[in-house]
Formats: sequence, structure tokens, C-alpha cells
Amino acid sequence: MKSYRKYMTSKIAWYVLTFVVAVFLNFLLPRLIPGNPVSTIVSKITSGMADTNSIKRVYETFEKEFGLNKPIWEQFMIYVSNLIHGNMGTSFGQYPRKVTDILASSIVWTIGLQLPAIIVSWILGNVLGVLAAYIKKGFDRVLFPVFLFISCIPSFGFAIVMVWLFAVALKIAPASGGYAFDMIPSPTLSFFLSVLQHYQLPFWSIVLVGIGGQSLGMREMSIYELNADYVKYCRLLGLKDSKIVKYVFKNAVLPQITGLALSLGTMVGGALITEIVFSYPGLGSVLFNAIAAQDFPLISGCTLLITTGVLVANFLVDIVYGLIDPRIKVAQQE
Amino acid sequence: MAEMLLQVENLKSVYKTRFNERIVAVDDVSFNLENGKCLGIAGESGSGKSTLAMSIMGYYHPPLFYESGAIYISGIDIAKLPYNQLREKILGKEIAYIPQAAMNALNPTQKIINLVADVMKEHVKGITINEIKKIAEERFETLNLPKDVLQRYPIELSGGMKQRTVIAISTILNPKILVADEPTSALDVTSQKIVIKLLKDLLKRGFIKAMIFITHELPLLYNIADEIIVMYAGEVVESGKAEEIIFDPIHPYSHGLMNSIIVPEKGIKGKKLAVIPGAPPNLKLKLEGCRFFERCQFAKDECKNGRIDIKCANERNYRCVFGVEELKEMYEDDKKPATT
Amino acid sequence: MKGNFKTIFKSGKFDVGLAIFALLLLCIVIFPLLNREDPLKMNYTMFQPPGPNLPLGSDNFGRNELVELIAGGKTSLIIGILAGAIATCIGLIIGLSGGYLGGLVDNVLSSVTNIFIVIPSFIILVLISVSISSRSFLTTALVIGFTSWPWTARAVRAQTISLRNRDHVNLAKVSGYSIPKIIVMEILPYIASYVGMAFILQVASGILSEATISMLGLGPQNTVTLGLMLNWATMYEAHMSGAWWAFVPPVLMIALITFSLNLMNTGLDQVFNPQIRS
Repeated sequence: MKSYRKYMTSKIAWYVLTFVVAVFLNFLLPRLIPGNPVSTIVSKITSGMADTNSIKRVYETFEKEFGLNKPIWEQFMIYVSNLIHGNMGTSFGQYPRKVTDILASSIVWTIGLQLPAIIVSWILGNVLGVLAAYIKKGFDRVLFPVFLFISCIPSFGFAIVMVWLFAVALKIAPASGGYAFDMIPSPTLSFFLSVLQHYQLPFWSIVLVGIGGQSLGMREMSIYELNADYVKYCRLLGLKDSKIVKYVFKNAVLPQITGLALSLGTMVGGALITEIVFSYPGLGSVLFNAIAAQDFPLISGCTLLITTGVLVANFLVDIVYGLIDPRIKVAQQE
Repeated sequence: MAEMLLQVENLKSVYKTRFNERIVAVDDVSFNLENGKCLGIAGESGSGKSTLAMSIMGYYHPPLFYESGAIYISGIDIAKLPYNQLREKILGKEIAYIPQAAMNALNPTQKIINLVADVMKEHVKGITINEIKKIAEERFETLNLPKDVLQRYPIELSGGMKQRTVIAISTILNPKILVADEPTSALDVTSQKIVIKLLKDLLKRGFIKAMIFITHELPLLYNIADEIIVMYAGEVVESGKAEEIIFDPIHPYSHGLMNSIIVPEKGIKGKKLAVIPGAPPNLKLKLEGCRFFERCQFAKDECKNGRIDIKCANERNYRCVFGVEELKEMYEDDKKPATT
Repeated sequence: MKGNFKTIFKSGKFDVGLAIFALLLLCIVIFPLLNREDPLKMNYTMFQPPGPNLPLGSDNFGRNELVELIAGGKTSLIIGILAGAIATCIGLIIGLSGGYLGGLVDNVLSSVTNIFIVIPSFIILVLISVSISSRSFLTTALVIGFTSWPWTARAVRAQTISLRNRDHVNLAKVSGYSIPKIIVMEILPYIASYVGMAFILQVASGILSEATISMLGLGPQNTVTLGLMLNWATMYEAHMSGAWWAFVPPVLMIALITFSLNLMNTGLDQVFNPQIRS
């Protein structure tokens, strides 16, 4: 167990470093490029272009919160100390709502949609992938191009086609929102059913595209494993193929766990855009609206939260991986 | 006459590539394996010896295909057995295998005992895990292997230990025949000796009844084999008693391989096969005449054409156009300028 | 190398991928020569269904969808290729120098690479795009290129490390060749096939990135791309009005381009990594 603690410590240190870099970039990038949003805001205030009182008030709040007239390193310290106190500023678009409040109410929807979708697509994709590698011939020849094609459709493109097909043309599912528009979120059965109904289309459009990508990776890993020496040896020991495929599945799926962690960023990105198509009340829609309204504090909050989410998910995957793969466990002992 | 455990008759195996090329990797090979004996198969890499190992186990997996001939184990021609029956009745039970690269032969994410359990459950109906544990521990102890190896993952074992573990697993069901494909080539000298001793031990204790030992390292065969087959380009070029082949080779190829190790005590150590200049012929082509022609320093025009058949002389089989006396003379002539 | 080229074409997957890609390319190149309509001109009414004059109908702005699709495909492809080239170059430089030089340089470079693999490139893309108020398709291509190099860098590094101690490299070292010369002469040729494959994948992912960023409303301006077409279709709720011709063609176009590229990549992979061949 000592070795595992070492593994953990190094992973934690690594993720803390990555997180610091992420925070830094989140602060720096929108302030560095000429014509950036922050300097635009500053110039609007100073030149009196923020004509109406309300806009002026909005910008001034921002200036006060982030100390825009101070040197950039001081601004960074203010930014970090704000973050530590859980303050991401006040939204421009939904003034005077706090950015953290808006994010808190939308992240539940995003996690609720994406976590199950990504896990389900990962499991289904891996099972199909190992089957395609093992059965080969017809199965592989048909499935491979199909998977590949599906994985090439952006999930939001898939989503828009699905809305049109199932919600507009066939009318068997609601087209948008996280629940019926005439409802108020409450712990009732009818609300729950409405959520479930609205869940289907976004869920499956993320799952189907994910299956494509995951199964391709798994197929390749499995083909690699099926060619490994131990497979031949097990066959020559007279073991059943079903048993050997189980070994192969386990060995191929372990790297797929890391594979999942690494493709998480892309998958989450695609899934966030999918939310826009469905006007799903998650982070994706919030980010989209924030961009449209040039609501800079909210954009910045979204990007930081999404990055953090991806980092946490990656970290958890790494921890789990270290626990279940004996190859890692032992490598740490040496 | 001793009991024949394995009879291979005119066996021919081919590789078929995706691009419809045919490579005859085992060409018309015949031999017998008697009870209690160890047969050595020698040859360079690419001579078809590993393919021969797969073939005599009846293990034809694409791109390797069975072409013709027969392999009899306990009276059954396993070359024509459907894979499922072969797997159930023969593999691991009648004939077992030790792979070339035992380093990677074990599933990295499985404890040794679990593989042993899977193998035994596959072949012994209704066996319980406790019985398996008992049998495995006993066997490991008999073979001087630490018991706790069973509870380890392959990555935790050293190379030599892994190879010995593989040998113990392969023979746990007391198969009649053990096919060992270069079992020592990846090991250091000390581990090599231990492994050879272990294999001899298995034979002596009767856990296996006969063995086929494939290698490109001659000194090993001298230590363990009773009979030797020398392979070249998919064909048997010479076969006979081990001592005779090593000390008195007839075929120019065997001669080339062996003539440097006439004094075993000194010269034999560490000598490897690949001492003859040139490379084996491309088996994709249709070959005429003697396959060793291009590399043979004694080759004459008559070697070029037709099919060279196996000849029998002095209780030995060899594949050459020349007679035994003729060859001996050529070897003598060849030696003279070298000694002066 | 000649033999290699022959085997490439023996791979059915590569052939099919190339055929699809060539066909799309041909359409993109030839169509504008035959039909000189301005893709941005609003000549029709909103969401006119497909008919004899308008094979793919019109979009929300009343533009000819087919003309727009071809023009969008072209811009998207150019963005993809530019972004792919930039990403491959950066990845190549970082991967080669880290992998070959080793030591501290490698530690720093591979840490940076790994950090940027974990931080979603999509987020950095948003952060940069938000800061640039006027974006041409060139800007978009540049930004995508500068955010998507880490994968290539990591792969190139691994390949370089495996080559670093080969005999021919050592020979060049003792012969006193300079480091850049060794890298170019003794390492690059061995990873060339790999880099080519990475480039193909980068082009595909560049096209997808463009679509993603455009959907967020941060795409290039004053032009038409496949992502922008999808963005407009979503904003103007083409799917709710049943105007499938406004979004199905761009979705298919994105999928077909990336599919053909991925297919070529798989074909090449089978040729260069024979283990997956069987």
C-alpha cells in the first residue's frame, strides 16, 4: 500500500500543478491579446462609452471586483484570492446575479447528463470493440466503417438531426429544455418524468457518438492484445476462446480507462455544444449565452469550471486505474 | 520396439499472406517420437522450426494453414481434427507447449494460480479450487519452485523464474509430449542450466513421456537430446542420433554448423548456429534443386536441378546429391589448407 | 519506399478513404467554376425547400444552400489543413527536441505537453477566440493549430526516444554531425510515415474544432464554414421548422471529410504497423 501512496502523491502533485497552470491561463489569455475583453471593458468605462447608467454600473462592479486599474500581477493576486473565496464576479448579462450562483444551478444538469452518457458510451463501446476485434470477418468489416463514420459526426450535428427526426418529424420526444417549460423544478413524480423525457435525446446523441470513438480504440487495443504471446500460449494450453477473450478484454480495457481520461476533454466539449442544440439548462447553454451577451465574467467562470471538472475526472480515473491495474501497482514497487 | 507417441508423416504447412502469397514453411517433414526420448530440432531462425512446433500440435491459426500430411498422437490424426476437439482432447492434455518468449507468455494481469486453475478446470471435470491449489502447490514443490510464485503476478517474477513457471503450468496435467520452443534462448547461462535440468527432471519423473526441444543453440541439444533433426528452409536436411549428428555430420549444412565444435569441452560453449555466410532462400519462390545450394561451398552443377530426396546411410537420413564417402572426402580436402 | 507505396494502395481502407476524399475535393474545386453564385448573397426567401432551381433549398438568410455548402466545405477544409499543418509542425519540433535531447529539456517539454493534453484544448480555444474581436478564417485556423499540437508532440517524442539509441543514429553522432542534422537525416525519415498519419488526423480534428467553436458563436466572420452553417441552422431553429436541408448537408459533409481522412489514416496504420494487419 505504501507504493500506492507514492503513486497517489505524485499524481496529486501533478494535478495541482496542472490546475495552477489552468487558472493562470484562464486569467491571462483574455487579458494578454490586444483587443481583449478586459481592456475593452476598461476603455469603455474610461471613455464614457458605457453610456447608460446600468451598463456603467455593471462594468464598475467588475472593475471593483477585479482591480482592473492595478498592475497585472496585482490583478492576478486579486483574481486568485477571489477564487479562494469562491467569488467569480458578477454576471454582466444577468446582473446582479453572481457567476458562482449561475454556475451552481447549471452544473447539476451538465453532470447529470454527461457523466452517465460518457460512462454508458464507454462501456458499450468497449464491449462492441472487443467483439469486433475477436469476431473479425463480417462483423468487423461492417461494424468498423459504421463506428468510424459515427465517430466522425460531431455530437451536436448528430443532436440536431435527432431533434428534427424524433421531436419534429416523429413527435415522440420533446425538442428542448431540461424539463417541460411550464414546470417549476420540484421533487415531484411528474417533474421527474418530464426530466426523464427531456433526457433521452441529448443522452443518446452523446452516447452514440461516444460509442463510435470508444469502440474504435478498444478494437485496436484488442487486436493488439489478441496478437500477444499469452493468447497463443493460452490457446495451446487448450483454454476456451471465451475465456481468452475475457483476458483480452480485461487487458485491453485497462488502457482504455486512461484513454477515456485523455479523450474526456474532447468529449465534454462536444457534449457541451450538444446542450446548446437542446437548450439544455447546463453549462454548455450558459457558456453559449454568455458568449452571445459578451458576459465576460460568466465566460471566464464557465471555462474555469469546465477545466476543473475535466481535471477532477481525469484525476479520479488515474486513481482508479492505479488501484486496479496490477502492472501499475508493481511498477510502483520497484 | 518402443512405443511411438508421435508420428509425423509428410507434413506440409503454408503461410498465406493477405496478398495471396504462399510461403511453404514446413515442407514434407516426417519423424517419429518414441516414449522416453527427447528429440532436438535445430535450425537457423526462419528455418521453419517454430512453425513445425505449431504444426505438430495441430495448431493451425491464420495465416498458417495445414496443407497435407498427418500427425498421429495416440492413433488420432490431429491435423484433421476440428479445432474445438483438438482444444478439448489434445492441447494441454496430450501435448503441451513451452513458448519461445516465455517473458510475455503469461497474461500480465492475472495471478499465476488463476491461470493454473483455468487450465485445470478446462480439462478436469468438476475439480474444485482447493484441489487445484493442492495439486499446484505439490507440483511446484516437487519441481523446486517456490510455492508463493502461485500468488504472484507475472511481472513480479524474474525471467528465469517465469520460464520455469511456464514449464510447470504447461506440464501440470502430465501431458505425454512436451514441445519446448527455444525455452532457454532468452535466459542467462545459470538460468539456462536450471531450465534444462528441470526439463530432464520432468522426463525422469514421468510427468511427461517425451519431449521435442527446438533451438538454434547446439550445445543445449548435446546436453539433452537423444535424436536430432536439422532443418533448413522448411525441409529436414539431416536426421539421426544426437551424438552422430553433432560429431559426424553428413549434410554440408549440418557440417557447416557443427564442424567447429568437434572438441565439446572447449569449443562447444556458446557456439551458435549462424556461422555460415548468406541467408536462407526466399520461400515465397518456387524452389528447384538443393535449397542450400547458394550457401554451400561444395555445391556443383548437379545440385541445381530437380528435387533432392532424403537418402539413408549409416542409420542416418540426409538430403544431398552426394554420397557419404564423397562428402567425407570433400570435408577432408577442405580441412587440409586450413591446418597448414 | 517504392514497395511501401505499392502496399499502401493494397490497403482497401486507404483506397476507399482516398476515393471519398478525392471526390469531395473535386466537387469543392470544380463546382465554383461552373456556378459562380456568391455563397453569401441572399437571393431567396428563408428556408425554401429543395427544388429544381435550388437542389438543396435555401438557408435562414435565403442563401443558396448548395453553393454555401461547397464554399463552406472549402473554407472548413482549408482551416483544417492549415491548423493541421501548424499543429503537426509544433508537435514535431517539441516532440523531436524533447525526445532527442532528453534530460531537462525533455522534462520541461513533456510536462508542458502533458498539461496541455489534460486541459481541454477546446477551452483554450474559447479563451483565445473570445479575446480576438475580428476573426478571419485564417485566425481561426491559427488558433486551432496552436491549441491542438500536444497529441502529436507526445507521439513524436515516444517515437524519437525509441530511435535515439539506434546504431545508425549513434554512427552519425560519432561522425560528428550536428544535432539538427542528425535529427533531420537520421530520425525524421524514420518517423515520416507516422508524422504523415498524425497530420491527417490533425486535419480531421481541425475541421471538428472549427465546427465546435463556430457553434459557440466564436467562429470566423464574413465567411461561410460548415460549422457556421450549423450554427446558423441552430440559432434560427431550422430543425424546429423541419428545414432539414439546412443542417443535414453540413453535418454529412463534416462527417464525410473526417471519415475519409480517418479511413486513410487507418489504412496507413495497417501498412506501417503490420501487427494490426491480420
